[in-house]
Amino acid sequence: MARTVAARVSRSSTAETTEADLAAMWREAARDAPIARAMMSNLIVFRRLRAGGGADRPADLPLQDVVAQHPSRVIAVEHDPRKTDGEPCISVELAVVAFGPPQAQYGVEQITICPTCSDASLPSIVRRLIRGDLPTAVWWTEDASAVPPMPAIVAMARQLVFDSRAWRDVSAGVRAVTSIDQDDLDLADVNWRRLLPLRRALVTAASDRRDAWRSDEVRVRYGAGDAALAWLAAGWLMARLDWPRPPTVQEEKSMDAGVAVEVGAGDAAFGVALDERRAVLTRGGDPPTSFTARREDEADAVAAELHSLSHDVCLRDALAALNRAFGAA
Amino acid sequence: MADRPSLADRLAAGETHPAPPEPLTIVIFGGAGDLAHRKLLPALYNLHVDALLPARIAIVGASRGEMSDAAYRAFAKDGVSQFSRRPIDEDAWSAFAEALFYVPVAIDNEQSYAALGSRLDVVEHERGIAGNRIYYLAVPPALFAPAVSNLARRRFVNRGSERPFARLIVEKPIGNDLDSARAINDAIAAVFDERQIFRIDHYLGKETVQNILVLRFANSIFEPLFNHRHVDHVQIVVAEEEGVGTRAGYYDRAGALRDMVQNHILQLLTLVAMEPPRSLDSDVIRDEKLDVLQSLRPIAGGDVDASVVRAQYAAGFDAGTPVPGYREEKGVARDSRTETFVAIKAFIDNWRWAGVPFFLRTGKRLPKRASEITVRLKEVPHILFNANSGSRLDPNVLSIRIQPDEGFALGISSKVPGPRVSIYPVRMDFHYGSTFGASSPEAYERLLLDVMVGDSTLFMRRDSVEAAWRWVMPILDRWASQTAEPIPTYAAGDWGPREAGRLIESTGRRWREP
Repeated sequence: MARTVAARVSRSSTAETTEADLAAMWREAARDAPIARAMMSNLIVFRRLRAGGGADRPADLPLQDVVAQHPSRVIAVEHDPRKTDGEPCISVELAVVAFGPPQAQYGVEQITICPTCSDASLPSIVRRLIRGDLPTAVWWTEDASAVPPMPAIVAMARQLVFDSRAWRDVSAGVRAVTSIDQDDLDLADVNWRRLLPLRRALVTAASDRRDAWRSDEVRVRYGAGDAALAWLAAGWLMARLDWPRPPTVQEEKSMDAGVAVEVGAGDAAFGVALDERRAVLTRGGDPPTSFTARREDEADAVAAELHSLSHDVCLRDALAALNRAFGAA
Repeated sequence: MADRPSLADRLAAGETHPAPPEPLTIVIFGGAGDLAHRKLLPALYNLHVDALLPARIAIVGASRGEMSDAAYRAFAKDGVSQFSRRPIDEDAWSAFAEALFYVPVAIDNEQSYAALGSRLDVVEHERGIAGNRIYYLAVPPALFAPAVSNLARRRFVNRGSERPFARLIVEKPIGNDLDSARAINDAIAAVFDERQIFRIDHYLGKETVQNILVLRFANSIFEPLFNHRHVDHVQIVVAEEEGVGTRAGYYDRAGALRDMVQNHILQLLTLVAMEPPRSLDSDVIRDEKLDVLQSLRPIAGGDVDASVVRAQYAAGFDAGTPVPGYREEKGVARDSRTETFVAIKAFIDNWRWAGVPFFLRTGKRLPKRASEITVRLKEVPHILFNANSGSRLDPNVLSIRIQPDEGFALGISSKVPGPRVSIYPVRMDFHYGSTFGASSPEAYERLLLDVMVGDSTLFMRRDSVEAAWRWVMPILDRWASQTAEPIPTYAAGDWGPREAGRLIESTGRRWREP
């Protein structure tokens, strides 16, 4: 849900004067009325510029809606990697964005840096902007299957937020996020959140049996754009039921989007169909059971992940199982 | 050899999202009333939007008047539109509305329950619900006993049975005194086991109240200080800006002590003062809270006059607007002796809090609506920076704001920049709203969800309710015996009568205005 920005001030700065300029902006912001400098975490938002100057991911990230819900020091990195030697060129734009009613206003600060520099020199530019007394999250807005998260940037973070829905190549995306050698990193996939109603439906469907389903009696179908979601469902089942091989995963041209899981055949068969609103479990003559999906947009989902500093074991296990499956294929 | 885990357990392993509650039906007695309209239905709608309701649910409003399901859905939608923290999302609403039903029921008429039972059977069959039920008594306390006895007669309750479960939610006030509280509890206990009963005090569902335990027991900086060695005194204030309003009929029989102190304020006191529980199990926490109530030093006889101040608001101003005094309010007797303000100096006679006064204060028509707990630490010794008697340092104060603007602040002393050693009190301030950004769930959302999953931690147990009554009864008895003494007054818009100031100032302390 879009949040109303009460006020926004911005100015250009330099890498050397960023902190002093921000302090001055906060003093100015508080001149007329008190404003809380709200900061739960450092949030590094990464975009990589292409050769032509544009980025794969459009610039219309719902960043303000994210930080209205999870106030952070935003370090937006728009990296242009074309310059690989010599001194980097860095342009810095600062903003203070205020939210809330006049009597309880809070503001967040946004540092946008556009470094033209090599991958190797980028971390040193970002690192100096991080406040060490706050947790750090990286929101990797690129398609990780094409632009894998940079280990040196991710190493600064406690949490890596990404959206597997953007992966054009699921196996490359899985490889990219599972290859990060950082045990204490909290992986947070906003696409994975969409799978929760389907997982709940499958847990409910399993409640009256003891023996596990076999991988060859499970079929996962998906609509356009939801390949990653379907594979995550398959990976989760593989991990939880110790399957060495994934079940059948197929794109279904007739499906708009979403994922459907069918289990078994005959009278005991059942299916779960997931769309944006709900997962519906259909089994025999029982009335369908509906598992409501959370009503959230991208900003809500990212903010919710940022709020939660905990390891999602289920996601990690699903990704690891998929990595093994794709490696073996 | 240990049993192999079930298939469902294997699939649910490692899940960080709590499992949704089991399919169930919520029957709201008083379902067409104000509480349902303003609080319960909006809370249930928000739980639906957050995907926290069971996959199969029916919400059945039960009230005296005739109404169709469609009319009840319109009634609910109106309540959600006006009072939900979120605007209505039409898609979400239509799915939620399908779960809403209405049955006319005269709560004190056994015959009504036959129709209710038939309708519940049909609804539950159609929606695939196996019979788990929550009965919410959003009705006056006088109807608690007839409601539960009719539920028993018509076999709505599987006593002692784990599945399908029947749970009962009752709203405060639980009684008007200790005897009536016992009578209500006895009537309920004749039908429901204690573990099936959820007594709501909505204060306990507020984020800041839940945060008191986190603040105390998840931060090593605070817990070592919460005792008589470091704390000078504690203040708990629940201030209301409004007058008696439309509640005169109830309030004039109750008064501030029954309405606020016996439940909300004593519950807050238990959370501030309790010992660390050995686990987060609901009964372990409630045992510790009960210990505090049982350790409260009784205030009886002449001690009441020395330790308790009661008062009534007189005519005055509310934000500049003239307002009448309590006795001029509609529905209030002209010679009413009901207190609209009470201030108490209390002590907890245990090792941790020996000698530390707890000042409790609540009232109507105070300058603003605010609930706050203040823990004032002892002064540093009068040497070094505190040596100058002309400029004593402010002691550290931890204040926990419950409403509005939930959060907490710590007052500390800091050097003023410059060549001189000049010390100024500054605040480290935490606001839920600006730190966590998103709007917090309403108290009823959390409490209703807890009932669905069977977690009674935030609900009052019978022994706790009765212990609280036991403590306030001598105060009520003393007041009842003083039929001739005048009751102090305070002008509407003031922080209470002069007597309340004297109560705390006689100990060398001052009230802190929230």
